[in-house]
Amino acid sequence: MARRLLIPLLLCGFLLACVGGETNVAQGNRDGVLHFGNYGEPQGLDPHVVTGVPEHHIIGALFEGLVLKNPETLAIEPGVAESWTVSDDGRIYTFKLRDNARWSNGDEITAADFEWSWWRALQPALASSYVFMYFPIKNAEAYFNRSLSNFDEVGIKAIDKKTFRVELDAPAPYFLQLLDHYALFPVHRPTVEKFGAPDESYTRWTRPENIVSNGPFLLDEWRLFKYLSVKKNPDYWDADKVKLNAIRFYPIDKQTTEERMFRAGQLHRTEEVPIDRIPWYRQNRPEVLKIAPYIGTYLYRLNTRKPHLADVRVRQALSMSVDRRRLIDTVLNGLFTPAYSVVPPGLLGYKPPDVFGFDPDKARQLLSEAGYPGGKGYPGLEIQYNTHEQHRKIAIAIQQMWREELGIDVRLQNKDWKVYLDDETTGNFDASRGGWIGDYVDPNTFMDIWTAASGVNRTGFADEEFDRLVLQIAPNAKDHETRLNTFQQAERLFLEQMPIVPLYTYSSKHLVHPGVKGLSPNYMDYYNFRYVSLEPDASGVTQD
Amino acid sequence: MEANKHDMSEQEQGSSLWADAWLRLKHNRLALGSLIFLLALVVLCILTPWLAPYGYEQQNLELGATPPSMAHWLGTDVFGRDLLTRLLYGGRVSLMVGFIATAVALLIGVLWGTVAGYLGGRVDMLMMRLVDILYAIPFIIFIILLMVVFGRSMLLLFMAIGAVEWLTMARIVRGQVQGIRQQEYIEAAIAMGLPLSRILWRHVVPNTLGPVIVYATLTIPQVMLLEAFLSFLGLGIQPPQSSWGLLISYGAESMEEYPWLLVFPGLALASTLFALNFLGDGLRDALDPRVAKD
Repeated sequence: MARRLLIPLLLCGFLLACVGGETNVAQGNRDGVLHFGNYGEPQGLDPHVVTGVPEHHIIGALFEGLVLKNPETLAIEPGVAESWTVSDDGRIYTFKLRDNARWSNGDEITAADFEWSWWRALQPALASSYVFMYFPIKNAEAYFNRSLSNFDEVGIKAIDKKTFRVELDAPAPYFLQLLDHYALFPVHRPTVEKFGAPDESYTRWTRPENIVSNGPFLLDEWRLFKYLSVKKNPDYWDADKVKLNAIRFYPIDKQTTEERMFRAGQLHRTEEVPIDRIPWYRQNRPEVLKIAPYIGTYLYRLNTRKPHLADVRVRQALSMSVDRRRLIDTVLNGLFTPAYSVVPPGLLGYKPPDVFGFDPDKARQLLSEAGYPGGKGYPGLEIQYNTHEQHRKIAIAIQQMWREELGIDVRLQNKDWKVYLDDETTGNFDASRGGWIGDYVDPNTFMDIWTAASGVNRTGFADEEFDRLVLQIAPNAKDHETRLNTFQQAERLFLEQMPIVPLYTYSSKHLVHPGVKGLSPNYMDYYNFRYVSLEPDASGVTQD
Repeated sequence: MEANKHDMSEQEQGSSLWADAWLRLKHNRLALGSLIFLLALVVLCILTPWLAPYGYEQQNLELGATPPSMAHWLGTDVFGRDLLTRLLYGGRVSLMVGFIATAVALLIGVLWGTVAGYLGGRVDMLMMRLVDILYAIPFIIFIILLMVVFGRSMLLLFMAIGAVEWLTMARIVRGQVQGIRQQEYIEAAIAMGLPLSRILWRHVVPNTLGPVIVYATLTIPQVMLLEAFLSFLGLGIQPPQSSWGLLISYGAESMEEYPWLLVFPGLALASTLFALNFLGDGLRDALDPRVAKD
């Protein structure tokens, strides 16, 4: 009898050990440890080298730039710079660094640190992917392209120990926002130089035992494919305001795995929510589902160099015959906002021009004017997209809409990411799925990519008037109002040519445990871990 | 001894191997049932365009994913497309890839293996080393290369899959043939002065059929899944067309929300594979010349 009970008892004990123990979330709420689903394993932690969202979250905890953003309002707040002044012509920024800003090894943070760090980021050999963030600065682009060799002529200058001056080519009202991007963060010169040349990527200086940083948190432990943990920096200038004791970043790139971990109380927050799970959360646990508009536009690029897409009427017909509302409400579970412009509405008060809407009759008429009545004689087109469940779903729905509304033949082609990108860059496509995420809150980030010289234009669209409006008129606009009007004029011009089919404005989707405060959703999906806190008595167990 | 009996029976009744096999197969009810099931499935798939009340690409976005109902017997997918219709259209692709690719593999594999095994010596060495070399090439890369060189077409995809699946078949056949070559009836055939092609076709190949058929029934599901994998990579068929493999892989993505999208395609594939296995088993028994006739 005793032996027959032994195995079931052992099994029960084992199960209890797995299930009955305290969850990460309950323990974290008590100890002030945030468990953060972070999408993927970070490529590295060097602010000037990496790109990508997982790195963004971690580097934002470890380092700090001249300014910060308020996570609620996205307004600029002082960071390492205590205050700053802007010259009347909007071209010269003078920053005063705070006295108590220190590196984690105790060194003072000086203007020379910023000068050296920015010099480093502009080294061509470092090949920083975000180097274009520096290009509003006077001569920065020329220095990066090696057409200028003297760094003294670049508008980056340490005036004295605590004064740092930046000179721009032209006024850029969004410049302060750029300073909060990790590409413009400072790095600790002696540490970087100890482990390699300044323009060498992926050296050992970012290892936990070597790294010196200046943010509210310090790198504690990095276990590949398990987690990366950071702990509170007691020497941070604003350490009193930091409420978390530690954060653990989990690299989970499978949405379904992440969602299951959240349900099991292993995570406080997920990077994504599987789209098919959204209805369940809406119905059963609406309090943890956080959906907010996100500064990005999902679109299809049309290749205007192809003969059957060269006629603007064909492109307009394609765009007008897509029922975005229906697409979003059905296939995409109502998650996004239909887009009829490339700039998402509401960026600093910007109102996109009203150029077109869903109008299948007009679309058919335009197509027949272009010489293809009822789609007759049209050679058909191919939609290419990179292999992904959601892109496929959208493409299937649009394929059918174009077939039904316009009577044209549409083929789908999914491609591996690199092939897809290569075909798009070399112009080997008809219609290609794309998306653009704004780098800062300003219409400019959605407009200057369509200029003729832009590397991500890829549609063959080139319009001198558009380029002039975006590159020359807008930067020199007298005031905010005039500037927005210029952008509106440019966008109208762009949308009338319709080299893209805008489909929807992105949304950020997260699951956030009710005990977490200060992770409020915002337009940039931006986090500032200084503001995050945990409620110790919030229920750690999430009922299923 | 047994071979003798076989020869005698030929003299007695003059019935061929195939007629014998059919007689034996008829008594195997499981195999016969499977055969009928498969034939019915093939006919149904062929007739789908005329039978189905919906088009395979016909969407009803407002309807979305619904469980089985009177209007849609197997339910609909997220685009409101009828699953039964898509399953039957997918069956056309899957069965075609299964049979064509396997037939290609069978043809090349049996031919290659028989020649290599029978001739032996240096020819065998050369031919089998070539097989070894082809084995060493990752087959996905090989297929991708074929597709790049010859362009995308469904028939070509089937042939390409067949062209990489014949290697194992060639090895199995060669092993069999090496054994058969030592048999006395082959010596007798040689002594009677039969031409090589007749020896191979009449006396060697039929004796290898047992393992070949078993392996062929295993190859069919394999190539069906391979097709799904290639399509997923963008090398096979593209939406809105579908195949069982694709229906299953898409169904698996949302199995928690819409289980019927996984269950029915899964059932279709599984029952077809079962039927193929029973039939293959029955055929093997039926075709085995060593089985004594009653």
